[in-house]
Amino acid sequence: MVVDMDTNEISVELTEAENELYDRQIRLWGLESQKRLRTARILIAGLCGLGAEITKNIILSGVNSVKLLDDKNVTEEDFCSQFLAPRESLNSNRAEASLARARALNPMVDISADREPLQEKSSEFFGQFDVVVVNSATNEELLRIDTICRDLGVKFIATDVWGTFGFYFASLQKHNYVEDVIKHKIVANADKKKKYETVSIPTQRDVDYPGYSAWLEFDITAPSYLRKLKRNGPGVLLLSVLQKFRTTHQRDPSYKTREADLELLRGIRDELMPNSILGDEALGLIFAQISPAVAVVGGVVAQEVIKVVTKMEAPHRNLFVFDPDTCAGYVETIEAK
Amino acid sequence: MAAAIDGVFPATLQELVKKSKVLVVGAGGIGCEVLKNLVLSGFTDIEIIDLDTIDLSNLNRQFLFHREHVGKSKARVARESALSFNPDAKITAYHDSVTSTDYGVNFFKKFDLVLSALDNRAARNHVNRMCLNADVPLIESGTAGYNGQVELIKRGLTQCYECTPKDKQRSFPGCTIRNTPSEPIHCIVWAKHLFNQLFGESLEDEDISPDAADPDAKEKDGDGEPKKDDENEKEKGEESKEEKEAKEDTANGNIVRINTRQWARDCNYDAGKLFNKFFNEDITYLLRMSNLWKTRKAPVPVQWDTLQSEGSSGDQKDVAKQHHKVWSIEECAQVFANSLKELSGTFLKLEGDDTLAWDKDDQPAMDFVAACANVRSHIFDIERKSRFEIKSMAGNIIPAIATTNAITAGISVMRSFKVLEAKWEQCKAVYARLRPNARNHFLVPDASLPGPNPNCYVCASDPAITLKIDTKRLRIKELRDEVLVKTLNMLNPDVTVESSGSILISSEEGETECNEGKLLSELNIVDGVILKCDDFFQNYELSIIISHFDAERDENLFEVVADASQLKPKDEEQKKDTVEAKEDDQKTATKRSANGEEDSKDDGPSTSKRSRPTEVVEEDDDDCLVIEEDEDQAEVVIVATDKLSVQSPPKSGAKRKPCEVIEDEDITEILDSSDDEPAGPTKCKRSRLDESSSNPVEVISID
Repeated sequence: MVVDMDTNEISVELTEAENELYDRQIRLWGLESQKRLRTARILIAGLCGLGAEITKNIILSGVNSVKLLDDKNVTEEDFCSQFLAPRESLNSNRAEASLARARALNPMVDISADREPLQEKSSEFFGQFDVVVVNSATNEELLRIDTICRDLGVKFIATDVWGTFGFYFASLQKHNYVEDVIKHKIVANADKKKKYETVSIPTQRDVDYPGYSAWLEFDITAPSYLRKLKRNGPGVLLLSVLQKFRTTHQRDPSYKTREADLELLRGIRDELMPNSILGDEALGLIFAQISPAVAVVGGVVAQEVIKVVTKMEAPHRNLFVFDPDTCAGYVETIEAK
Repeated sequence: MAAAIDGVFPATLQELVKKSKVLVVGAGGIGCEVLKNLVLSGFTDIEIIDLDTIDLSNLNRQFLFHREHVGKSKARVARESALSFNPDAKITAYHDSVTSTDYGVNFFKKFDLVLSALDNRAARNHVNRMCLNADVPLIESGTAGYNGQVELIKRGLTQCYECTPKDKQRSFPGCTIRNTPSEPIHCIVWAKHLFNQLFGESLEDEDISPDAADPDAKEKDGDGEPKKDDENEKEKGEESKEEKEAKEDTANGNIVRINTRQWARDCNYDAGKLFNKFFNEDITYLLRMSNLWKTRKAPVPVQWDTLQSEGSSGDQKDVAKQHHKVWSIEECAQVFANSLKELSGTFLKLEGDDTLAWDKDDQPAMDFVAACANVRSHIFDIERKSRFEIKSMAGNIIPAIATTNAITAGISVMRSFKVLEAKWEQCKAVYARLRPNARNHFLVPDASLPGPNPNCYVCASDPAITLKIDTKRLRIKELRDEVLVKTLNMLNPDVTVESSGSILISSEEGETECNEGKLLSELNIVDGVILKCDDFFQNYELSIIISHFDAERDENLFEVVADASQLKPKDEEQKKDTVEAKEDDQKTATKRSANGEEDSKDDGPSTSKRSRPTEVVEEDDDDCLVIEEDEDQAEVVIVATDKLSVQSPPKSGAKRKPCEVIEDEDITEILDSSDDEPAGPTKCKRSRLDESSSNPVEVISID
């Protein structure tokens, strides 16, 4: 279905029911943000466990509409984290299987499913949305969608989780937002005793986000990057290895062929970056999508979507990495070449 | 159910997940998420406990619950929903309080791991003690707004939940509330007290009438010391007749209060009469205490008759429903009258000594407080607030969103894998923040796993505390209820005097009832006496060393000093306390700025950051300071008074006027977090970061 496009006005008042339902979040991000959320149209492509987590958080926040796009069927592997698809839905379409539970999360959000392949979706399709989130696609596909979205001025986020490791890349083009800048005032009196007071000043900002190509062209083996890699751990390297695996084998490593695929991964790692800090142990937890890690990455991605829609607070710029070993979540700034 | 599929997890972890038995305490925002993560990961032996039922305002984040579940048990509905994700799991749900004696140490010992997802400190303290006792690892978590935290507590290895003192709840001196409010919160507290005076359980320290004994209202001595009673006696001759009467009235506080309630009843809750008493006569009375208004703006009484606009009776009901609008003073008067009518109607129907309990979600009770607080704010020239904002402050609402809960619960269960594998060194605490720190982390693991505090009064062996207490004013019942139960979080303590072995307080009902009404000093519990406390259920023993002090007016009658070495000879005490407070204050401020600049605005329990952009870190000492701010000029004016008062800007900075942001020149000094961090990855910086993240601003709540 096509969503009404004439909803970008935020003069709408929230109903009493909405005020009550969203009370705790309005107290955090304010009424204006809630009104903006109410007009937002979001596409979630790829209803894997991560897709389900993002979908859940976005629907709970009270956006206008969410479209679930997936041409794949539910597999046993999905039961590791895809809680929107019931057990009975095994082998049926993932997006359609997720509909009933997604709708139950928040009856005020318009939710629909689409089972066409992502690859067949053209520019017109993506133009219906304010934010497009794509899970588990190949680099080629991500680049194609990013190019379309940049043409249309649609904000684009690419994300994925392998086992307990995850990332997202935000291609937000020119994004403007307001953030409260907190200043600490020291107020002294005659006795030189110090007092602190914090003052928050709403500040308008404009930031440019490079496209997905910036990540594809990023050289992790550059000597200038080595020190950073050492400090933050092997996350970015692991991401490169996993994406290379996907490109090379046109699939992800599978638990069914665990040992053989681990061998292939070690091969890619050593070829990409000999004697790196990426140990064998980190490769042991990259199968399927493990629920708690998906919850972390899905929570982070959904919060970014909310930031983009509400134009409140700075979206992270621009590559997020979740390190499952330390539970650190950090941002790498990838500049366009 | 990852662990049920061979090859997904490494084999050892798969086995551990399959065979472990875990307890989830709390089925709220974090609890729902934790439960989902556990069943999907393949845990099959799970118990969950929560005493709460589902509310509509939970549904924006507690995703296991839907509209049709409102009013039902959280634990039971969470179980049902989670089972639909993984029908092979075995989940036991308890709709009960975790502090109930049904869940003793043996209950906790059944589990390999406890994950707590609670929303209050009392239950957290209790679960902490039970897990320490049972020697079960505990993963403790909490969120507030964008902030979240997860930490491991394991006996003998890490800090326990009570190893570090927690911030006390913000409280205000009685005379600020009764005589000289300067912030919206002062008027809100007063309005809640008024509610209780009229309809609720009236408490001794909740008087709302003018306080004639306010030391501020007296002429000052040179040294500013409060006068002794006999000096006051001498002065009495100079006081006006009214003041004298008032003083006698307040000396018998109870009688006055009962009279207010009775008087209101006798006037048939006539809105005009009550309004004029609270907002005209009492204010006129305050004006006569002229010393109060030498350095402050004097209040302006309002009159009921002048606020009655004609012909507006039709939409009266609707005013109260405009939660985001700041009501005019006339509208406040309307809402006052309407809510008074409803509340008195309900109150008069109660049987015997029953009273109403104030509840932020009870519409007339909330309307009444919002209206009264705003009328009082108007009188004192304080910014009025919308009902929505007042509800935040009056109800101590902590904002909560789905994403922070999901992230925090995800980290909890990620940590539980490490706990099961006994990889303790990899179980450092993690903090979730809105903005990245200087190293570009916004999910920030601690640099180290802090060990137990050897002086902790909970997890140290033979724990002891010093209790500074006014033994001449505090009674045994208060020692039990206020000190042992409310402050030290015992459930049902037995207390004996060490030297004599005599029983002071018994957990057996009725056994020591005769002691309850007696002052400590009457039972010879004086300076230097050591009490042995034992809470059988918590398996917790504590020695309390009594240190007597004469409490000042408006000062707390007791204070727990966890580390006895902090006690200094009496004459130095006062000075040292202030210095320490100051140092702490400074630390807090630096700590906050280093740990992500958004911290300070989210950690207050009372408001969303929007409504209170200015926040004073410390404000209950006797410093000489007045801050006044204009909307468009961040100008700091320092005036010497003997009482701290902070005036909020008339319009809060939440107003979006980005272009009009003034340069910082008027601000004495700026500690901007980002500028504060050294730029490179130097040693020095790392140690700074370690320091900041090991002492984060505590996140106290989820719900």
